Amino acid sequence: MARKYREIGKAGWGYTAITSVVGFIYFFPVLWIILTAFKTRTDALAVPPKLFFTPTLENFTSVFFRASITTGTSQATDMGLYFFNSIFIAFTSVGLALIVGTLAAYAFSRYPLRGNDTYLFIILTTRMMPPIVVIIPIFLMFRLSGLAGSYWGIILLYTAFNIPFSIWLVKSFFDELNPEIEDAARMDGASERRVFFRFCIPQILAGLSATFVFGLILTWNEFLFALLLTGVETRTVPVAMARTLGGEVGVDYGLLAAIVTLFLVPIFFVTFLLQNQLLRGVTFGTVKK
Amino acid sequence: MTIELKKLTKRFGSLTAVDAIDLDVGDGEVLCLLGPSGCGKTTTLRMVAGLEYATEGDIYLQGARVNDLAPRDRNVAMSFQFYALYPSLSVAENLAFPLHADGLSRAEIEQRVKRISDTLQLDKILTRTPGQLAEGEKQRVAVGRSIIRDPQCFLFDEPLSRLDVQLREEMRGEIKEVLQDLSKPTVIVTHDQLEALTMADRIAVMRDGRIEQVDTPHNVFQSPENLFVAGFIGTPQMNLLPATLTGTNGHGTADFAIAGGQSMTIEVDPRIADLAQGANVTLGIRPRNLEISHDPAPDGISTKIDIVEPMGAETLAHLSDGQHDLRLVADWRVPLSEGDQVHTRFPPGATHVFTENEQVLRSAP
Amino acid sequence: MAELATDNLGTQGAARGGFGAWLLDPKRRGALLVTPAITILFVMNIFPLMWSFGLSFFNYKASSPRVPSFRGLSNYERVLTDDKTWERFQTTAVIVGSSVLLQLIVGFLLALMFAKAFPLRRIVLMLVLTPMMLSFVSVGVFFKLFYEPTFGIVSYVMNLFTTEKFVMLGSPAGAIAGIVIADAWMWSPFVMLLVLAGLVSVPKYLYEAAEIDRASSWRTFWTITFPYIKSLLLLAILFRTIETFKLFDIVYIITEGGPGSSTETIAVFLYRNAFQFFQTSRSAALAYIVLFIVIVLTNLYLYAVNRRAQEAN
Repeated sequence: MARKYREIGKAGWGYTAITSVVGFIYFFPVLWIILTAFKTRTDALAVPPKLFFTPTLENFTSVFFRASITTGTSQATDMGLYFFNSIFIAFTSVGLALIVGTLAAYAFSRYPLRGNDTYLFIILTTRMMPPIVVIIPIFLMFRLSGLAGSYWGIILLYTAFNIPFSIWLVKSFFDELNPEIEDAARMDGASERRVFFRFCIPQILAGLSATFVFGLILTWNEFLFALLLTGVETRTVPVAMARTLGGEVGVDYGLLAAIVTLFLVPIFFVTFLLQNQLLRGVTFGTVKK
Repeated sequence: MTIELKKLTKRFGSLTAVDAIDLDVGDGEVLCLLGPSGCGKTTTLRMVAGLEYATEGDIYLQGARVNDLAPRDRNVAMSFQFYALYPSLSVAENLAFPLHADGLSRAEIEQRVKRISDTLQLDKILTRTPGQLAEGEKQRVAVGRSIIRDPQCFLFDEPLSRLDVQLREEMRGEIKEVLQDLSKPTVIVTHDQLEALTMADRIAVMRDGRIEQVDTPHNVFQSPENLFVAGFIGTPQMNLLPATLTGTNGHGTADFAIAGGQSMTIEVDPRIADLAQGANVTLGIRPRNLEISHDPAPDGISTKIDIVEPMGAETLAHLSDGQHDLRLVADWRVPLSEGDQVHTRFPPGATHVFTENEQVLRSAP
Repeated sequence: MAELATDNLGTQGAARGGFGAWLLDPKRRGALLVTPAITILFVMNIFPLMWSFGLSFFNYKASSPRVPSFRGLSNYERVLTDDKTWERFQTTAVIVGSSVLLQLIVGFLLALMFAKAFPLRRIVLMLVLTPMMLSFVSVGVFFKLFYEPTFGIVSYVMNLFTTEKFVMLGSPAGAIAGIVIADAWMWSPFVMLLVLAGLVSVPKYLYEAAEIDRASSWRTFWTITFPYIKSLLLLAILFRTIETFKLFDIVYIITEGGPGSSTETIAVFLYRNAFQFFQTSRSAALAYIVLFIVIVLTNLYLYAVNRRAQEAN
């Protein structure tokens, strides 16, 4: 029986084909970079641009190892350190921010202070604020205190950067819980500590992980603070990328594309895993569904 | 016939929601699809509307096959369970909404809206939006919107399910009145038998995607064709008592043995003679048909009164013979007290006999 | 998590008395839980802001050892009377306006496309969502490469149509377009997500009713769909305006503000003044003006958030 019309809101494989084309076009810039990462220097600079070429891994190797012309041996570049820095700094600061932020979020959700909304507004404003506004005094502060260029300095800064986001996002998860369960637990004699750890936290575990991962991405991607406040030892990948780009005359786009590609891998995973929480994450919990 | 369903089937994956049903609705007839939730009645309605595509079978409206027509091309009107009022439009705009497709003049639209709002007493709330309406008003607007134009048929999905008891009673009458004036084929889906019994010209009782019986409200109640319809229609529920046929004495009089050792001789349908001795049957009798006597009687069994529930004009008693529970409804003046040992009598002609395959034994009228 | 040792504190605290009891009073539990977060925010955000507020009234230069002297409002006066400032605000406004508009259009169309259920939707959706999750620097690198005059793919494609050599970032208009395209590509998925949230919140029965009522798709859109997405559209506009207003990284990577100062956004301008010309105090004054604008926008945003929450109830 030929189907002459479709039920509302549903579509079939034909529609998938159309959307795939659109999705593919939209994704093309990313794809092009990934392709470039697998090109030799000649292929990367070819005119017209090559869509088909013999892939090579040489860009990826040269991200981490530089061949020495005189000795013929390879030598490690600093890129490994920068990747380590990005990971270490992101995990530490986001972890700290999540702990501190969850406590505050619980308080804002369950024990509203006088002027609760004002506090929340100020906290959100510190997140909405252009980083350039705060960075002038922070730069001076770090210079005076010697925190500039140290791990602690940038970790502390990123913790502060992630706290507003964590508070708002985690609060949105706490707000969704049914407080009756907590009251029932209290009636049954559970202590406040127990209510928090055994009843509230397990219920928002998925939300906490989403918050954690979002924080990781935001921190992983951050550029301006890192540009101004990290030193040679604590430099993160985005700064290293910008330096590779802004450096000497002939930019090695193959190399740069390889760095970007490596940098993207975790983001693909996260985007896929967090698809349902994405909206809440990018709006700091202000828009849930 | 103006709505005609032939072997209509809907499958969702491996689940068969509607299983090859045949149904006709005549001009001006109100048909209720009645059944427990999940029986496929709403799916059937939605297939008629075109909101679900039939897997197999045919749908005819005014003689034309409409399976492949989109809802907008079928010219049907439907009122939804959750009313589906357009939240951003006022009541008047909601009512006028179905008329835009007809390209009517503004004056004509206004005049029709006025007529409908007068009929349904909506004139005072025409400028409000759905968010500002009470449930009963929303329901009225939903009905108004579906009857404002001149479609081939009307479909109602659980029209009264969201109203409270009092409002439901009121609206039942109102809708019935409106439907009589319209004299268009109408299908109402409901799980509430009282709604079906009061509003329908005919009732189709559904279970598990099949139609168990289609008949007038009176017949569905008085002459259920099978065990399911017998048990489903009527409150309190019909008493269903498993028994074994031990003998027939002509003129429909027969002896039954009840599990637990008791036996009785009662008058049932003459076709009981067709059954073999020792056949397992189910005896069905409405609680209001049972009678009580304090003396032993051959046409009844001995029972104890467990619980007495006064219901105002009547009293509901739960009886037990030690193995089965029976419900009895008596006039409130009949003295019943808990713990009493009484005889429960099955008056002549009041008992339905269902065979082992759950069909009723009934002579042709 | 010492703060959580507040169990049964009514009894314990009272027994101990003194400051401990005062601090652990259940009435102060909320305040106690909030303290660590507020402390860090104070040290890393509020205090620096106060400091720079102070600086904005002096003539401090981070590069000079000279003892700064108090200058009152003269920094604000100079910033606000400087034509350059207004030029940068104008540039920022042009970029914000065109980028947000483009994001709205593209995001809206994408949302309409994804509002239906179809096979492999989740995978296709991911292709579109990825740009939003990328870092500004990566996106900057992407587009810098595409706009490269000799082998960039955008330049190559454009050269097929023009005889003159196409240099995207060569002209002020081209450079602004280049930045707007990169930013809009990155953030249209954000608008899409918000609009999509509105689209899926429309009860399906409303569309069914409209279908039964034979409404045209135009009328269906305006009476059913639009009311459900308009508050989210407003949120999207405000949120993206605030974010684009801060645009720094992409500009810094792609054009560095050039050619000339044609793409120098207010954020880049601030960065230059503060860290290349070391006009610390004057930058602090400008930073405060920017902050004021963001606070107003954030207020509007939260107002829209709350109004939407009320609508939902």
